Amino acid sequence: MSTVATFPHRICPATGRVIATSAESLIKVNAVVAVVALLIGAIAALLLVLTRWQAVHLLPAEWYYRILGVHGMNMLIFFIIYFEMAVLWFASTVLLNARPANPKLGWFSFGLMMAGTLMVEWAQWTGRADVLFTSYPPLKAHPALYLGVILFAVGALTVTGLFFATLVIAKREQRYEGSVPLVVYGAVTAAIIAVITLLHGAMIYIPTFLWSIGLIKSIDPQIYRMIWWALGHSSQQINVAAMVAVWYMLSGLTIGGVVLNEKVSRSAFVLYVLFISMASAHHLLVDPGFGPAWKIVNTSYFMYLAVLASMIHGFTVPAGMELGMRLRGFTDGLFGWLRRAPWGDPGFSSLVFSVVVFGFVGGITGVTIGTEQINIIAHNTMRVPGHFHATVVSGTAMAFMGATYYLLPLIFRRKVAFWGLAKMQPYLFSIGMLLLSMGMTFAGSFGVPRRHWDISFAQSPFEVTFNPAVDIVLAVMGIGGILAVTGALAFIAIAVKSVFFGEAITTWPLGKEIAGIPQGLTMPPVHAANVDELNEQLHDEKRGIAGATPGTLVLVGIFLLAFVVYYFTNWKLLSFLWKVG
Amino acid sequence: MADSPSRGVPESPPFMQRMFDNVFLLLVLGIVIMLVVYTGWGMWEILTMPVGTLP
Repeated sequence: MSTVATFPHRICPATGRVIATSAESLIKVNAVVAVVALLIGAIAALLLVLTRWQAVHLLPAEWYYRILGVHGMNMLIFFIIYFEMAVLWFASTVLLNARPANPKLGWFSFGLMMAGTLMVEWAQWTGRADVLFTSYPPLKAHPALYLGVILFAVGALTVTGLFFATLVIAKREQRYEGSVPLVVYGAVTAAIIAVITLLHGAMIYIPTFLWSIGLIKSIDPQIYRMIWWALGHSSQQINVAAMVAVWYMLSGLTIGGVVLNEKVSRSAFVLYVLFISMASAHHLLVDPGFGPAWKIVNTSYFMYLAVLASMIHGFTVPAGMELGMRLRGFTDGLFGWLRRAPWGDPGFSSLVFSVVVFGFVGGITGVTIGTEQINIIAHNTMRVPGHFHATVVSGTAMAFMGATYYLLPLIFRRKVAFWGLAKMQPYLFSIGMLLLSMGMTFAGSFGVPRRHWDISFAQSPFEVTFNPAVDIVLAVMGIGGILAVTGALAFIAIAVKSVFFGEAITTWPLGKEIAGIPQGLTMPPVHAANVDELNEQLHDEKRGIAGATPGTLVLVGIFLLAFVVYYFTNWKLLSFLWKVG
Repeated sequence: MADSPSRGVPESPPFMQRMFDNVFLLLVLGIVIMLVVYTGWGMWEILTMPVGTLP
């Protein structure tokens, strides 16, 4: 890989990588706007959780639904996709020592995305788009909402095209040899899914925009739902691919994690490319317009290949971490490698929490409620947001936060501000999110509907009562939400202070711990002196099925057991609904 | 008979690696599978649904 560059650049003192000046600016600006969107989304989250907590019930109905739309857009679209744009620029330039293709077009695309963002924010905050995140027809919003989303999507699609162009340039200019690194391959996967997603976005938002200005008479609600979800759900699959890429990156940076098997990990990414987008059909499992064949093929047979991919990454990432630690000499017992890991490094703790909560809570609940039969007892209940808060927030957002702790010194060349708080932030955020997700999931299991302002049905002509336990789980959800928002606001404070007022890093001291710089950067993980001997011992056939990573094998066993228990419990619950005999 | 390694000729990567490295092939496959299995089939299901009549 070439580190000689003819374009304006600097050399990273920690990693020795070539960082193109034009790419660096684009990474920074996208990351900063992502954090602003996170701030808006987090404030909205606090208002929502204090409304759904029935004992508090903060907002009036009109503002509840308005803020719910704001929360969805800022968190699921703006925060995540701006950050992913930063990831695409970072992966295609910094990780390949390459220059970006056409940075001017990159800035124009960013401008389009910003214009779209501002239009959507204006329409939502002024009450002109109280149609929730999904904007299902016949609900009609101000045209600015649809046009804003279209502009945003065109900008993001252009950046994705520039990402592919940058890969071509990097190859042509011999910035790398052979295959691209695995982390870049994960970004490639995210970019391909982004194209699929944004194409569907254009397919549905352009006619809906024309409908909103009166040029089209009507929009078929069933067609809208199908195509919209190819945007709404697939956009979260971009997250999954980007998040897994970040997992591999943080694993290497924080503890010297290794890639167990390039072929296996890349095959898993290819499975994502081919099969993950059709998970969108999960949202249509109770819709009358589709037959069981379409539903089952899309959500089971093909979709399980993408689930298989997630389970592969769910094994290879922790196993790579375990093997990396063992090769550094931490060989004691089943979990010595985990006990002696740098838990005070926010990049590492974020990585672990992201993997664990994404897999154990998000993954298990997602596959279960995505089963056609079981979906009938979960659809439109709070189990659905319980699931995706565990994947998108506890998984993706947590991983992105962990990456930020490394990007602040590497790209912004600033120390991480409020270092003591930064060490605690992943714990606060992930514990809060875990409580929130579990509270929502259990409330949903008692039948509590999602997107509902008042589950006491105070002014309705009929009476609905829930199990009294619902009050307790909603309180757990509320407390978890407050903790999680506190964690998110702490992250925002750290990021803003670091970027705009942080201490500049002028010299890069290696070999000692420095407050404000994650340990993986000042003390890069290195293998033990006897690494070859250790490797041979770890791969000795006498170790049997436990192999080189016995600790991970045990963890995976616990995961599978939890999966089986939860899955079959749901079938049991389903049998109560339709008692036979 | 032992094969003698060919010297000086760079070995071509295996077929699967070349396929996995072909970003644009993966892009086309990803789009086509989604458009056929989810979008196209789904549209067909909706558009061929018989019109319901009131009793």
